[in-house]
Amino acid sequence: MHNVIFALDGAMRVLVVGLLFGAGLPAVFALGVRALAHGDGGGTESNPEAPHLLGKVLALAYGDGSGTDVNPQAPHLLGKVLAYLAFAVVVGGVLLGLTVIVASGLGKELTFDGGVPTFVDE
Amino acid sequence: MNTAPHLGEAQATAPHLGLVDAATLTLVLVIATALAFDFTNGFHDTGNAMATSIATGALKPKVAVALSAVLNLVGAFLSVEVALTITNAVVNLQDESGAPKAELLADGGQALLLIILAGLVGGIVWNLFTWLYGLPSSSSHALLGGLVGSTMAGLGFGGVKWTGDGTKLDGVVGKILLPAVISPVIALLVAAVGTWLIFRITRSVSERYQQHGFRVGQVGSASLVSLAHGTNDAQKTMGVMTLALIAAGRWTDTEAVPFWVKLSAATAIALGTWLGGWRIIRTLGKGLIEISPAQGMAAESSSAAVILSSSHLGFALSTTHVATGSILGSGVGRRAPVRWNVAGRMVAAWAITLPSAGLVGALMWFVGNSIGGAMGAVVIFAILVALSTWMWMRSRRAPIGAHNVNDAWEGTPSSSPSSTRSRDSVH
Repeated sequence: MHNVIFALDGAMRVLVVGLLFGAGLPAVFALGVRALAHGDGGGTESNPEAPHLLGKVLALAYGDGSGTDVNPQAPHLLGKVLAYLAFAVVVGGVLLGLTVIVASGLGKELTFDGGVPTFVDE
Repeated sequence: MNTAPHLGEAQATAPHLGLVDAATLTLVLVIATALAFDFTNGFHDTGNAMATSIATGALKPKVAVALSAVLNLVGAFLSVEVALTITNAVVNLQDESGAPKAELLADGGQALLLIILAGLVGGIVWNLFTWLYGLPSSSSHALLGGLVGSTMAGLGFGGVKWTGDGTKLDGVVGKILLPAVISPVIALLVAAVGTWLIFRITRSVSERYQQHGFRVGQVGSASLVSLAHGTNDAQKTMGVMTLALIAAGRWTDTEAVPFWVKLSAATAIALGTWLGGWRIIRTLGKGLIEISPAQGMAAESSSAAVILSSSHLGFALSTTHVATGSILGSGVGRRAPVRWNVAGRMVAAWAITLPSAGLVGALMWFVGNSIGGAMGAVVIFAILVALSTWMWMRSRRAPIGAHNVNDAWEGTPSSSPSSTRSRDSVH
């Protein structure tokens, strides 16, 4: 039975971290793709559906389809900035992944005491 | 334990074998078989990282396997840590430091070498069999399953660690059975959530922007999976090879791996990956769902995150189970049709991986032990070569390669040789 307890405990942690990085980062990446399309102007197709909350927030940010922007086809600087910000977050996540791989290969472990990534011996 | 009389025979037969003594010959066969296993490990798992990138056209098939091969090679060299105690999870062959149990070391370690050899053969035979049917199954579970079988045959029921001592996740139950059940579910959930989020966020973005962006993301996340695979899996073979060298008295350091072991194991897994297990790539990339670049990125991100976080948290997962769960999840998250019958066949293969590889491992041990000594090892090795050749020839009847890996799933030469079975009776 002890194995089941340990396994469920490990599984819960992997699920939480997995959701954060495995689903969260792709979502940030998707935000970047969306922002880049808006930033370039004309990357989007008109969406006649009522936008959901996220769409509203993005629409406000990019001035798209909300009537605040007179020319929705013009490139938006803000969109590009947000896009590259999103991609930077994703690259940061990938670098963290690489660090974990290299660290475990070297017999080290990456810990986050106080939020600062630190190497310790396994 | 009736090995002792045969070990005596081993020494007696040695002079008949010519230039090398029995122990050396057995050791050479074990090393060759370990590298062969590493090679099958490479091509069996190429699809885990690259199937989605190949299926969406983000990478050309041959470019994808070459990229994966290079990353596996780099990953294998990154692993400085010694995985010498890899067998300790499931069998009682070594002590805590990784040194082999003293009672197995008589006569140049013949008893231990035979167990390792028989176990490796069990792992290879199961890997090739599942590859023939295009089924992704865990190479690590095949290796450990083979070792469990040969250890049970050689040392009896008590030689196997079934549940560990209760202080941590351990034994066959804790390291193999439970993770095999749980890990695909975790990966499926993560990929489903990721896919759902991606499609929700980008549904107003034009196809052109999506295709390009997600292809880049897909290749990046798949590369991480390849690198992690090289770091984890090549280490296992290095550990087994070093264990064999220690058993034969050719190496004493339990803190380091000989450089040639590292070089040859890294090369073997990279060459295997480069060969590309096209039959398995096809099943993973085309058999389960029709995959888009966005789904591919979600699936590979999920795989990378789950594999890395689990190795970080000490929860041993199989790359294969995670990759399959992720791809299924990327279909579920989009409410796209999933071929659950194909998924069901995979799950069935996972369920029987451990006992099947174990059965072959046990049979090989009995064959090798009843013949005895180096000649026993030679016969086992010959059986391996014969079975491998036979399965490779079967695969040529309905070959799958870079040219047809992406053909539509229905109406192509089936990845399952069962469709050729009717023709067998004609021959």
